[in-house]
Amino acid sequence: MTTLLRTTGLRAGYGPVTVLHDIDLEVNLGEIVVILGANGAGKTTTMRAISGTIARQGHVEFDGHEIAKSSPDRIVRNGLVQVPQGRGTFPELTVEDNLKAGAITRDDSRSVARDMELWYGQFPRLDERRNQRAGSLSGGEQQMLAIARALMSRPKLLLCDEPSLGLAPLITQELFGVLERLNKEEGLSVLLVEQNANLAMHIASRVYLLETGRIVASGSAAELSADDSIRKAYLGF
Amino acid sequence: MELFLQRLFDGLSQGSVYALIALGLVIIYRGTGHLNFAQGEMALFCTYVVYQLGEWGLAIGIALPIGMLVGFALGAVTEVTLIRPIAKKSAFAVFIVTLGLFQFLNWLAGAIWGDQPLPNSGVGSNQQSFPSLFPNEPDDFVRIFGAAIKLQSIGVFLLVLVLFGLLFLLFNFTKLGLSMNAVASNAESAKLVGIRTNLVLMTSWGLAAAIGAVGGVVFAGINSNVNLGLMFGVFIYASAAATLGGFDSPGGAVLGGLIIGVIENMAAGYFPKWVGQEMKVGVALMVILVVLLVKPSGLFGTAKVERV
Repeated sequence: MTTLLRTTGLRAGYGPVTVLHDIDLEVNLGEIVVILGANGAGKTTTMRAISGTIARQGHVEFDGHEIAKSSPDRIVRNGLVQVPQGRGTFPELTVEDNLKAGAITRDDSRSVARDMELWYGQFPRLDERRNQRAGSLSGGEQQMLAIARALMSRPKLLLCDEPSLGLAPLITQELFGVLERLNKEEGLSVLLVEQNANLAMHIASRVYLLETGRIVASGSAAELSADDSIRKAYLGF
Repeated sequence: MELFLQRLFDGLSQGSVYALIALGLVIIYRGTGHLNFAQGEMALFCTYVVYQLGEWGLAIGIALPIGMLVGFALGAVTEVTLIRPIAKKSAFAVFIVTLGLFQFLNWLAGAIWGDQPLPNSGVGSNQQSFPSLFPNEPDDFVRIFGAAIKLQSIGVFLLVLVLFGLLFLLFNFTKLGLSMNAVASNAESAKLVGIRTNLVLMTSWGLAAAIGAVGGVVFAGINSNVNLGLMFGVFIYASAAATLGGFDSPGGAVLGGLIIGVIENMAAGYFPKWVGQEMKVGVALMVILVVLLVKPSGLFGTAKVERV
């Protein structure tokens, strides 16, 4: 199996506060890897440390490149893109301009236009709202838009920061269905951060448990849900 | 009727200057949320540079683009060295820094070029008056319905429309424009799609100062000279224009500038006893006050949309 992303001794924080302590994790090509953890465990910080939007120490190897010192735009150009938490769209821009902005690192305008039609096909509700401002979309639609926008850069690895946040269960299910389909049909690798353990476990190839900035357990979804103490503490069933 | 038309066109050309400075304010505000208090003085400095180039014998058509480049560099360097390190700390600190820059640039211009209005034969200027971009002799006018409209007024007005058209194309049809819009809308997400936000902010400041330079040069041309107090009033009117048009709307800034120029000239013309020359600035204050009370986002500004 080819390793797409590997962090070794990844540390990060905000000012004097260290949030992440020596995070080691891996995502292999074609996997959906889920990081589970409670509020404040450091899930979002992990995402930001990988995508380069906060200062970090340690090693982050992606697709054969060391990216721990790279700027966020360089990392996007390498093929790793993060879908931000909550409504990370450009609310004042139209749906169409949001997608164009997602492709800003690409120079092939013709295939960008083709990709745009492709994602409109995958997300019909965005298609209906092309010229609407993103801020006027519902929470679920904005989350779809944020994912479609990220896909416009043709990433090898998609980082998703709690896509279920604030969404109705049905919408969340639909969203996870989309991620699963992209993974199966397009071979997209995904690193997903979630609080909503049940749904995430279903689509995960492997799972990491994050607790106060450290990885405390890892394994396949089946292995982790077989462990009684883990199941009670994290999965709530 | 003739008087009305004359005041209208005087107002439009004066308003064009406000529009240019207001455009600069809006470009920076959209990108960063900061009000650049030094916008007028940056323009003033570039205007002095253009005067100097004229002294060295360069035609205004060449001196202005060079002045704009100096403006671009001034804006970009300001963003990188002064604004960026401070912006991480607080928006209020940025405001204070631009206020300091306002004073510094005015002092610097005075230190280099002195406190006399220029050109000035007393200090040995070669130029008779500050070069105008458009024909500005006493007989350079056209008659429209009997009113004598200066070619300069028409030229300045058209220049603003052309500049605004170019900006419109930039914002709507180029990657740089899309990047600027994206950074203005959500800076964090802009980073995540791979936009070099630092580069975009630097460019925004540069662009704002370059457009401001045009405003300064045009105004000095109307005024026939450049002096240290040239941009004080203009900056206040430009702030009123941006408030009226909406602080995040380039089109609003232009329209706001034109409206305020016209209101100012009409008020001073028709109510000379009440408004006169000294009270004209009060008009700007009134406009700011009324807009903020009635429609705080201005005519074309976006009240932030967000579904919760």
